[in-house]
Amino acid sequence: MDSRFHQELDQLRGNVLKMATLTEQAIEKAFKALRERDIELSDEIITRDQDIDLLEMEIDRSILRLLALDQPMARDLRFLIGCMRISADLERIADQAVSIAHRARYLSKRPPLPEDPVMKRLIETSLDMLHVALSCFAKLSVDQAMDVCMMDDEVDELNTQVLKNLMDYMIHEVPAIQRGVQTIITARCMERVADHCTNIAESVVFIVRGVNIKHHCEQI
Amino acid sequence: MDKIRVEGLNFYYGKHRALTDISLAVRDRRITALIGPSGCGKSTFLRCLNRMNDTIRGTRTEGRILLDGQDIYTSGINVVELRQRVGMVFQRPNPFPQSIWDNVAFGPRVLRSHTRSGLADVIEESLRGAALWEEVKDRLRQDALSLSLGQQQRLCIARAIAIKPEVILMDEPCSALDPIATLQVEELMRSLKMDYTLVIVTHNMQQAARVSDWTGFFWMGELVEFDITENVFTRPSNRLTEDYITGRAG
Repeated sequence: MDSRFHQELDQLRGNVLKMATLTEQAIEKAFKALRERDIELSDEIITRDQDIDLLEMEIDRSILRLLALDQPMARDLRFLIGCMRISADLERIADQAVSIAHRARYLSKRPPLPEDPVMKRLIETSLDMLHVALSCFAKLSVDQAMDVCMMDDEVDELNTQVLKNLMDYMIHEVPAIQRGVQTIITARCMERVADHCTNIAESVVFIVRGVNIKHHCEQI
Repeated sequence: MDKIRVEGLNFYYGKHRALTDISLAVRDRRITALIGPSGCGKSTFLRCLNRMNDTIRGTRTEGRILLDGQDIYTSGINVVELRQRVGMVFQRPNPFPQSIWDNVAFGPRVLRSHTRSGLADVIEESLRGAALWEEVKDRLRQDALSLSLGQQQRLCIARAIAIKPEVILMDEPCSALDPIATLQVEELMRSLKMDYTLVIVTHNMQQAARVSDWTGFFWMGELVEFDITENVFTRPSNRLTEDYITGRAG
């Protein structure tokens, strides 16, 4: 039979997975709102962000309690530290969803910009990264974590390309500058989401292997 | 630098092999902790380091234990001299039913290592070394058994260091002490490692993590893992070690 401590670790894992699901839904809805110019959905994302914030606080509380009362070691200690980092990254991803929802709200009331296939690809790749990052936590898969880290460069390049395309467009379409800036911010939000996904993947590697691969400081 | 090198150590109680092929190096002026479940052989191993097991009938030792390069199990070794170099502190404080002064003076008197006036210096130095001097300096003639358990244990450490050992073995030195006395002994261990090599057996993994530089994990008479303490408690290389220290095995 699992000890009370290990049962609490399982509960914590469940809460982080719940937070991950809510965050993933928030990001997906933010893009739906952007794509479908849905103000109501944008408002829902902004309002529901509080649920994710509250879950983060609950996770923090339980981690603090487990660290203080059980003095965990080895993989249990790494798991708690990893969860603490991952929940912080999830909360930041959810904030990006809120930011995108605000842009969606603004853009929905104005004429659409021409469709940019690079922006579409940026959104798809970031969403893929998020999906794989959360899956690698659920399965504690180092292989999937490494896949996530590899994808980050592509997102950075796509973001740069979106910026370049919109700059070129805005030079010729001055009335579109405000919408262009909002779209650039949206692309930047996705790039940040991808960065947080990379952090999550690095935390998974830390949990499983005890190695810190941030900034390439340690090798697996 | 290695103070003690253990090479291929096997130890038997009669036909029962209690230790199997143990090899490790105890670093000079570092604290080495030995952890593992009851009956895993860690105390037996500790007692091999100063041949305390020799006092038990029917025991047998194979392999080598080198203290500064010299095998302590080779013939011609003076065991009394060995135990002077490798002292021991036990689980329960065991002061003699004598005064504080006489407890610390016991070893130097037996060894006749000091003059009467020199003895006073040794006693003060030893009690200071054991972080007890300030608490007992005005009552050195008082019965040692009147001290608290924590003070008694520090008195035993003072008694051990009075004969100037090079290595101090500690077998569960804090298991009978309250948390405050435990912290005092742990602080003392940290200061002692400036001058001595310490090997401690402990069931308290947090204690091993707090005080030691190197940790060895024993399981059923085998040394499963021996590494820098930080590695053992954050990312042990052996699954069994990880299961034990996270409470999933043992």
